[in-house]
Amino acid sequence: MMQNLQKILTFDSLKIGYASGRQKNILLPPLSASAGRGELIALIGKNGIGKSTLLRTITGLQEPLGGEISYNGRNILEYSRMELAREVGYISTESIKVSNMSVYDLVALGRFPHTNWTGIIDSGNHNSIMDAIEKTGMSALKNRLVSELSDGERQRAMIARILAQDTDIMIMDEPTAFLDIGSKYEILHLMHLLARESEKTIIFSTHDLNIAMSQSDKIWLILDNKLIEGAPEDLMIDGAFDHLFDSSPVQFNTDDGTFSFRTDDRGTIFVEGDGKLRNWTIKAINRAGFSVSENKTIPFITIPSAANSNWQLTTESNSAAFQSIYELVNRLRRDEKRPI
Amino acid sequence: MKTEEHKERAGTFSSGNQNWIIFLILFLLLITFLIMDLFFGSVSIKASEVIKAFFSDNESNFGTIILKFRLPKAITALLVGIALSLSGLQMQTIFRNPMAGPDVLGLSSGASLGVAFVILGFSGNLSPDSLRGLGNWILVVASWAGAGAVMLLIMFISTRVKDIMTILILGIMLSSGISAIVTIMQYFSNETMLKAYVIWTMGSLGNLTAGQLNVLLICVSVGVLLSLLSSKMLNALLLGENYAGSIGLNVRFARIVIFSCTSILAGSVTAFCGPIGFIGIAVPHIVRILFKTSDHKVLIPGTILAGGTVMLASDIISQLPGSESVLPVNAVTSLIGIPVVIWVIIRNRKYSGLF
Repeated sequence: MMQNLQKILTFDSLKIGYASGRQKNILLPPLSASAGRGELIALIGKNGIGKSTLLRTITGLQEPLGGEISYNGRNILEYSRMELAREVGYISTESIKVSNMSVYDLVALGRFPHTNWTGIIDSGNHNSIMDAIEKTGMSALKNRLVSELSDGERQRAMIARILAQDTDIMIMDEPTAFLDIGSKYEILHLMHLLARESEKTIIFSTHDLNIAMSQSDKIWLILDNKLIEGAPEDLMIDGAFDHLFDSSPVQFNTDDGTFSFRTDDRGTIFVEGDGKLRNWTIKAINRAGFSVSENKTIPFITIPSAANSNWQLTTESNSAAFQSIYELVNRLRRDEKRPI
Repeated sequence: MKTEEHKERAGTFSSGNQNWIIFLILFLLLITFLIMDLFFGSVSIKASEVIKAFFSDNESNFGTIILKFRLPKAITALLVGIALSLSGLQMQTIFRNPMAGPDVLGLSSGASLGVAFVILGFSGNLSPDSLRGLGNWILVVASWAGAGAVMLLIMFISTRVKDIMTILILGIMLSSGISAIVTIMQYFSNETMLKAYVIWTMGSLGNLTAGQLNVLLICVSVGVLLSLLSSKMLNALLLGENYAGSIGLNVRFARIVIFSCTSILAGSVTAFCGPIGFIGIAVPHIVRILFKTSDHKVLIPGTILAGGTVMLASDIISQLPGSESVLPVNAVTSLIGIPVVIWVIIRNRKYSGLF
């Protein structure tokens, strides 16, 4: 199966950066990676490491300083600007500042490489535009001005625009930055649908590791000295993320793919009980700096049950009852030293 | 589902219809003002005499005034309005700056520097009156070169400075710098040359010779044609150069075409009529308000009609109908344009830099 996945975009020993005059400022060592049809690929790396530059370079908006990029096995340099626009669409982080432009007009710009020099939208183009608007759920807003949309709606409209461009590959530079959490997941859901149902290859950069881990088929991870590609789980198992947070107080737990702060271990507590309440209680005592022991030890916490509606904290010296997790945690945090 | 589709179609069609109605109204206004411009002037001529001038063979004094003076002036006003408004529209789109215009960003100053070089510098014994035939073209080309140079300079600056107001201030600095150079040139030039130049700077629609009007007509026609051809490119550039490139526009080619077009339009007008302010910046905004669109396939023809109309109206006002005095047309265009510009600035505070 793996061998059958069609490689739609590959780059090999690609050098990215800026050339001014004869001086070349190459940002990273040569990078190589590939993307298959219908894959959702997350590009991850530290701020300022060159994610946007890489995305602009593979979109053809910036000259590569070395190496090779090919679409469907054909070198990017052999494509005209117009041909390339039929292969790959692009959304940047740049905000658009146009008054009097309706959502329909914005999406219609996606038809640019498919219309003649007059740019007149005939019925075929009109149908593609309406199709893109419908797929992105913008039908009700199609006559609204872009300047009046919310951030989430505007991002949807931008996605409709590259959908109308009818390319196999969509490149999005931080498509969920600046969005509230609801819109963020709506946009991700939309990207997911486009990859699965319309077989679009979507390459997006993000700072959100949780999103990258849970949503993407493949991760391109840029480290200081190389680019590593693979399924999120493969990278996790190989320990590729270990070095991403070396110097920060953030800890990435490779067991479950979550983050936590490096805090002092203040001791272990046993938690008696089970179910949802147990999970939330453990979360809270972790935050307070304690870990949970496997075996019944002292101190221990009994979580509320049919017999007892309070949290019960039992230590060697005494036992106290708490009506909420909030009160329980306050008690735990009050003890500066290990004791309880 | 079906009714919805039906409504949607009806919606598209009715907005198309609305556009046609606005186009028709603008066209009728243009024709009306064009005719009115022939009727008003510092010499009061009866309406019947004006009509007679066109249809009788014997040349009366009135006939001469109408055909040799007022008609060329009206045509000049029309061409100037079209040219300045179109160049303003193109500059606003390519710089993505609502405050861009040939006069504001210093294009007119650049053109006047070109003219100053011809009149004060190289032409020695040539005065504008003696600039005939090839001389007109020399003047125009110098003017294009001046406008084009400023355009390149502003483009260079705007790749580094994104803030609209900063670019505006730099444009004003540029204009001041250029006038300083012109002043120095004036200081070292002789009396005849100086007089010729000062008369030119006063700006006038009525001083064009038949030869100059021909050159202006050719230049503006070329500019209008290029604008119409570039409407698709301008639409793509609305989103900025990165997006324009990503949807398949050859940005370098588009820039060359649009820059040349703008320089030809603004440069030719400035060469023959002197600097005329605020038409270029104000008219595109009026057209955007009328048509409520950002589509250049609509904005360009709209700007052509509205630009001609506003300039003809300015010319009629400058004649002060009913009196024998004439105002400088530059003052009238400023009084019409400045309120529009102020309105745009105030509105933009709300939408932070939209155009």
